[in-house]
Amino acid sequence: MSATKKLHPDEKIKADKFGGQMFKIGAGVGVVLLGLSVALGAGEGDGWRHFLHAYLTAWSFIFSICIGSLFFVLIHHLARAKWGIVLRRQAEFITGALPLVGVLGLVFMLPVVLGNQNLYYWTVHQLHDSQHPLFHHMHGSGKTGWWLDPVFFFGRYLFYFAVYIGIATWFRKQSLAQDADGDANRSEQMRVWSGLAVLIYSLVTVFVATDLFMTLQPMWFSTIYAVNYFSGAMLATYCVLAVMSMVIQRSGRLQTSITVEHYHDIGKYMFGWTFFWIYTAFSQFMLQWYSNIPEETVWYNYRLFGGWQIVSLVVLLGHWAFPYVSLMTRWTKRILPLLAFFAVWQLVFHYIDLYWNVMPNQQWTMIGKWNMGPLQGPPEAFKVGFRIVDVTLLVGLVGLWLAGVGRSMKGNLLPTHDPKLGACLAFENY
Amino acid sequence: MEADNTPTDEPTATPVDHGDAADHGQAGHGDGGSDEPTAGDRELHGLLAEFETPGALIAAARKVKNAGYTEFDCYSPFPVHGIDDAMGIQRTKLPLVVFAGGAAGLIGGLFLQWWMNAHNWPWIVAGKPTWSIPANVPIAYETTILLSVLTTFFGMWMANKLPQVWHPYFSLDRFAKVTDDGLMIGIDAKDQRFDLEQTKQLLVAAGATDVEECYRDLRPEATEVPKWIYGAMTVMTVLAIIPFALAAKARRSTSADPHWHIFSDMDFQPKAKSDQAFPEFADGRANRGEIAGTIARGSLDADDAYYRGLRDGQWITDVPADVTVDRDLLARGQGKFNIYCAPCHGYDGNGHGIVPERVAQAGGAWEARNLTAPETIKLPNGQLFNTVSNGYNTMMGYAAQIPVQDRWAIVLYVRALQRGQNATQAEIPAGVQVR
Repeated sequence: MSATKKLHPDEKIKADKFGGQMFKIGAGVGVVLLGLSVALGAGEGDGWRHFLHAYLTAWSFIFSICIGSLFFVLIHHLARAKWGIVLRRQAEFITGALPLVGVLGLVFMLPVVLGNQNLYYWTVHQLHDSQHPLFHHMHGSGKTGWWLDPVFFFGRYLFYFAVYIGIATWFRKQSLAQDADGDANRSEQMRVWSGLAVLIYSLVTVFVATDLFMTLQPMWFSTIYAVNYFSGAMLATYCVLAVMSMVIQRSGRLQTSITVEHYHDIGKYMFGWTFFWIYTAFSQFMLQWYSNIPEETVWYNYRLFGGWQIVSLVVLLGHWAFPYVSLMTRWTKRILPLLAFFAVWQLVFHYIDLYWNVMPNQQWTMIGKWNMGPLQGPPEAFKVGFRIVDVTLLVGLVGLWLAGVGRSMKGNLLPTHDPKLGACLAFENY
Repeated sequence: MEADNTPTDEPTATPVDHGDAADHGQAGHGDGGSDEPTAGDRELHGLLAEFETPGALIAAARKVKNAGYTEFDCYSPFPVHGIDDAMGIQRTKLPLVVFAGGAAGLIGGLFLQWWMNAHNWPWIVAGKPTWSIPANVPIAYETTILLSVLTTFFGMWMANKLPQVWHPYFSLDRFAKVTDDGLMIGIDAKDQRFDLEQTKQLLVAAGATDVEECYRDLRPEATEVPKWIYGAMTVMTVLAIIPFALAAKARRSTSADPHWHIFSDMDFQPKAKSDQAFPEFADGRANRGEIAGTIARGSLDADDAYYRGLRDGQWITDVPADVTVDRDLLARGQGKFNIYCAPCHGYDGNGHGIVPERVAQAGGAWEARNLTAPETIKLPNGQLFNTVSNGYNTMMGYAAQIPVQDRWAIVLYVRALQRGQNATQAEIPAGVQVR
């Protein structure tokens, strides 16, 4: 006896100029700030070391939202979910930014191929420690090293994006085609293929997180690292969907389609992924802390002592404790200004979490060797070293990402002929 | 959504007045074969009305609520969304109770670990402090979930007045349908607005297909618990105490009797185990030992210097021929030393390892030997090797854990430590300070 509703006849469901405005604002902000960032990065005089790390951090932020949205689309089809049909098109539009994000990634990928050794230090093959277990995987070790080879690395990067873009484009095209021809069979087709797509997506995401972020310190390893990155990506995606829905509704569109019930469910997922994120983050920390093996604890050594200690605490309290307790009640999710506050809050802390993941890895390129003991080396190696270029890069890349999303935002803002749309419009939390 | 569920057709069946007690079939609901109660022995419990669709049930519940009734309930075989609102039921307070339960689990779990491991019986696990929050998180997490779940489960019971083993409506055959396809509203006679005729009219007007009166039997044989149940409960209680009584007795007494062997063929198997007595053999031992004139593969150990640190009955002062002293061997020795020796002797070998430190923290006084002191420096290599292999005083032997080559590596690393810890300014590179 599931209830259904029809779209309100006066509902504005067309994107119209909304995407164009997003594109203009985003592209303007993005180009200006990216130019400024390049100027700031060149002024550092450290062989682009800080710039590349900060760029990778900001890039991983927009990338995480894109792959999180892709998973949102896939899991909706796979589970035949009804509650979020009105949000699915937005997620599809976000995945439309994937090609642009892939191109933006070349800013740090090309230097790797061209021999810049200030981001991924495993490219510095003459400095390899022959005692290290990963030595055999490294480029130029003269043995079986082939995984960490700059050219192969770049090839994998292209492959990952081909897979992501392929999956995202097929599902987006099917969904948009259904708006035009109303063929309910397309939903069934998307459901059938979503299972395989989720499998491929999961594998590729594990490799992406390992390749792009964990190899920043190739001696360190954590099998749950990719899950942790994925959980942060999902959390960020639900936050973005909450904020984007509110902005779209303020523009007069989808006024009656997205109700407080849908926001309530977004809030539930924000709560859930907040906990899943700390669950994986703590699992990683506790096992390595407990076993106390130098090649594992070294990763935390630079994050729990010295200048990064305060950042670790801020991430723990700000990304988990405060939002977790606050999002527990029903009212935080149903009072929209409150929900918006926590969505923005978690997005900010998602960036800080990524910053905390990426930036301390600079210490190796500063010291020039792996240091498993107490904090040693020049003081700047274990200071946070925040620069203004970090912010300009973040805002600039988010601007370009908005431009990419805006460019793909054409047509209806919700799948008008999805068979489950009626059930979604009538959705209520009991 | 409600509009979709409202039934389109009018109720078809007309309500039947079952006022006559004889109409109440009791077959299948027998309470010991008693006869039907007469009019003087029964009391009106309420009215039970049946509805055709969930939509009709919701609409009727709303009508009953709006008529001012409070003592009524709806019965259905599946959850009917929106029924809470129609009946005017307030949102449950259960989440608050669950939050309190979860918080109690969190605090209780942390307290449990603090009391057990940091207060009552301090115990070092994996070299961690006795009270260290990261190690306590998993258990605190589990206890939080445990108490949340228990408060949810039993809180739900209490909120729903469960367990309820009997209800007056059970006496109506119709009521069995609520576990299958029946959708019903029952209004209690104790409701202030209850009036047999008016309430019946209300339910019919609300779309009931049938309205039935429910009576409670007031005769003693129907309301009182049979005596044998008290008897059975007493017997079971006494039986339940017996195991605990036996356990309590066993804790306070001694016995010369052997254990009970419940599975004696598992406890006594027809085979000999290592180092047992075995009278069938002439020497009375189960072990047969090595056959004279043979040596087990890999157990020759002929080189006294290499395997025992001895030459002609004296501790050797050089290194055996099979040990090649080089950088790799010392690095190996450092690794093994840091794993096996450093916990007591410390990373620099001066005896200030983490174990003596914790002993001091726990109020004791025990120190590991300072390996870099002159009395150890003067010991010959062979004797150091023997100590690593077989132990010394309270130190246990490591022959079973560390291979021979690695034991020699440790000996040489200890020599390196002795040299390093007693280095003079002249021996070390310029620009480095002896501390």
